[in-house]
Amino acid sequence: MSLVDSMSMAKPNFQARERILAKLHGRELLNCFQCMKCTSGCTALKLLELKPHEIEKLVNLSLIDELVSSDIIWTCVTCLKCVQRCPQMASPYHVIMVLRNLAVEREAKVPEAFMKAVSLVLESGLAETAQKITTRTMKVCERESLKLPKIGSPRESFQAVFLKALEEK
Amino acid sequence: MTRIGVYVCHCGLNIAGTVDVEKVAEYAKSLPNVVVAKHYTYMCSDPGQRMIQDDIKTRKLDRVVIATCSPRMHEETFRKAVGEAGLNPYLSEIVNLREHVSWPHTHEPEKATEKAKALVRMGVARVRLSEPLKKRKVSVEKNVLVVGGGIAGIQASLDLANAGFKVWLVEKAPSIGGRMAQLDKTFPTLDCSACILTPKMVDVAKHPNVTLLTNSEVVGVKGFVGNFEASILKKPRYVDESRCVGCELCTEVCPVKVPNRFNEKLDQTRAISIYSPHAVPKIAAVNSGYCLRLKTRKDVCGKCLEACEAKAIDFSQKPETIQIRVGGIILAVGSEVFDASKMYEAGYGRFPNVILNMEFERISDASGPTQGKILSPKTGQPPKNMVFIQCIGSRDKRFHEYCCRVGCMVSLKQAILAREKLGEDVNIYVCFNDLRSFGKGYEEFYRRARDMGINFVAGIPSDIRMAADGSLYFDVFERGTNKLLEMHADLVVLANGLVPSEDIKKINELFHASRSADGFLLEAHPKLRPLECSTAGIFLAGTCQGPKDVPDTVAQASGAAAKAMDLLSSGEIELEPLKAIVEKDLCSGCRVCESLCPFLAIEMKNEKEDDAEKIRAEVIEAMCQGCGLCSAACPTGAIKIQQYGNKQVLAQVDAALTETDAKGGN
Repeated sequence: MSLVDSMSMAKPNFQARERILAKLHGRELLNCFQCMKCTSGCTALKLLELKPHEIEKLVNLSLIDELVSSDIIWTCVTCLKCVQRCPQMASPYHVIMVLRNLAVEREAKVPEAFMKAVSLVLESGLAETAQKITTRTMKVCERESLKLPKIGSPRESFQAVFLKALEEK
Repeated sequence: MTRIGVYVCHCGLNIAGTVDVEKVAEYAKSLPNVVVAKHYTYMCSDPGQRMIQDDIKTRKLDRVVIATCSPRMHEETFRKAVGEAGLNPYLSEIVNLREHVSWPHTHEPEKATEKAKALVRMGVARVRLSEPLKKRKVSVEKNVLVVGGGIAGIQASLDLANAGFKVWLVEKAPSIGGRMAQLDKTFPTLDCSACILTPKMVDVAKHPNVTLLTNSEVVGVKGFVGNFEASILKKPRYVDESRCVGCELCTEVCPVKVPNRFNEKLDQTRAISIYSPHAVPKIAAVNSGYCLRLKTRKDVCGKCLEACEAKAIDFSQKPETIQIRVGGIILAVGSEVFDASKMYEAGYGRFPNVILNMEFERISDASGPTQGKILSPKTGQPPKNMVFIQCIGSRDKRFHEYCCRVGCMVSLKQAILAREKLGEDVNIYVCFNDLRSFGKGYEEFYRRARDMGINFVAGIPSDIRMAADGSLYFDVFERGTNKLLEMHADLVVLANGLVPSEDIKKINELFHASRSADGFLLEAHPKLRPLECSTAGIFLAGTCQGPKDVPDTVAQASGAAAKAMDLLSSGEIELEPLKAIVEKDLCSGCRVCESLCPFLAIEMKNEKEDDAEKIRAEVIEAMCQGCGLCSAACPTGAIKIQQYGNKQVLAQVDAALTETDAKGGN
């Protein structure tokens, strides 16, 4: 064994790292040199303590198992600033997404909000429920008052197609 | 009647931002003999210089004071300008308003202005008593001594020889090549070191303008710029250089095993051997410390004598001293690597599987002890987990405060070599402080290492420990993840940096080459004269001046060679006239000056006077650097530095102590 996390006694999982690299369709993750620019600008840092540079480093060191079962990978709000600004194009966002996929695959605990979103998509075809609309003048109003079309239901075949697509992925 | 002009420079805002230059110029006008005082944005610029020159001509000035930056910066510039206007260049005086006034007193502009006025007053008082001086010319030898046959010495010798200068290249080892010859590959291109170095070694040895002296050392240097006399001790090889064909039959029969210096003592060679596989000259040498015949001084063994078909072995050889005369000297004596056993916690010397980066080079080299296979010295097996640890003995106040400037790149290169040779299954880690990949193509090289899956751990272990099974482990706090990692390795490579060689003390004494605080040889100016030693005629190349990699070393060597050509090409040189002179009648022959002179520029001479022998000091003008030590120490005041005699210095002191100007007004 090459290294151990002395606090948790976690060991590196080299195969998991290779799988992540394969799913990323590119090995830029390896190029991360810890400038921490991603964390400096991370939208989820202040409230949710997400530190993308740590995730990059942990994956590079193959210390992956703990990460996959942690809550932290679910805090990314997908603002994509890190993707745009990373000087090494190592985009932590994509790494986090692969880690989420791994978590689902391993049947790790997924936060409720995400499961809700999935069922909502199944039911309505939308990731979020139709909300009231706030206009530029900060007026809150219903869709109808702005003469926007009603939100319909998905086609009957939608659920089956969606589930099939998920499985294929 | 003396007519003095005073010129106050703004140096942009460097001086004028703090000092009220207008006031200073106005004040200067009130000083005795001052007929003109002006201020200008950049005195050193073309219009600034022309202003001074025009005034010298039209206002008939015979002395000039320029209040500007340090004389180290522009004294020569202004002397030249003054000379071009027809005035003796030594009738000008620099007053330093930048380094001595505006920079250190930025927060006290009023006091700074007062100090500037005082310095100008002193300058005027002094220049009034300046004497016209003339530069002297001496002829020079058009050949160069290059000390050290590493890549720096080889490159400098080739450049000089190609330009038509005769070169003496002196190397203490039996072969030239130095450190670079020991390297496997070179970063960032991974060129095989031997492939790019060996042709140069051969070229320099064959060059008609180069006399190569291996197994030799410089033991004495006399003389001065343009006219050095060096004694070179040629140690016996006990092998006739004209006969040996390099067949190594002698090595095959020699029974005495000797640690192989070229392979960092990782394996053994014999008491008679050729230094390295690509040695130049490829001539055997006997190690007199090990050879039975030489050690016992008896007629024993003699196996090599029988084996040598060329009858080249000659135990009757004696050391020879060769005297040469050269115009310039290039010091390219190189450096050593840090002895990592001094750093207990790093584990070197205690654990056989902790090795130094130089040892790794030999292990990785096809001509090394393992034929290029990377094997752990402990197990003899290829390692599964390798760790490189940076900054061993460098950036460490206990050992060497400086950055070794090569360790990061060496480790990147070695990690890449290890990855290439050992394959994807081996875990390779680099524990670092800061990864410094600053050169051309270096950042790309660092990226290449990351692309190859080499792991970088931001943190240095506290100590290396050995587990019961002989493998190594250590804790390291990784600052990217804020985690304490316990790392396991079966081979640890320490990036120990370059340190001044043991010989540098000898070099320091022999050549009067000063050393900087880090122990390396000191350049005359860190930015503007990086290739010269403060002793005129001596130049620096390569790692003896400070740690550097191969590209920088080669660049510096070519630069030093160009500097030597610049000095010698015309066949004569001009010497500064600011030298010590002895007033014979006052000299008592006490020898104080002789013992103090750091440049050995004083000779004691016997003279007949009134039928009695008298001993008196005499200055060898070409060697005197005008430092003034002798003048300060002379008990009778017989020896003084031109332009810095009591007359001028005391006038300056008087002016410093006068609060108002001599005309009585203020």
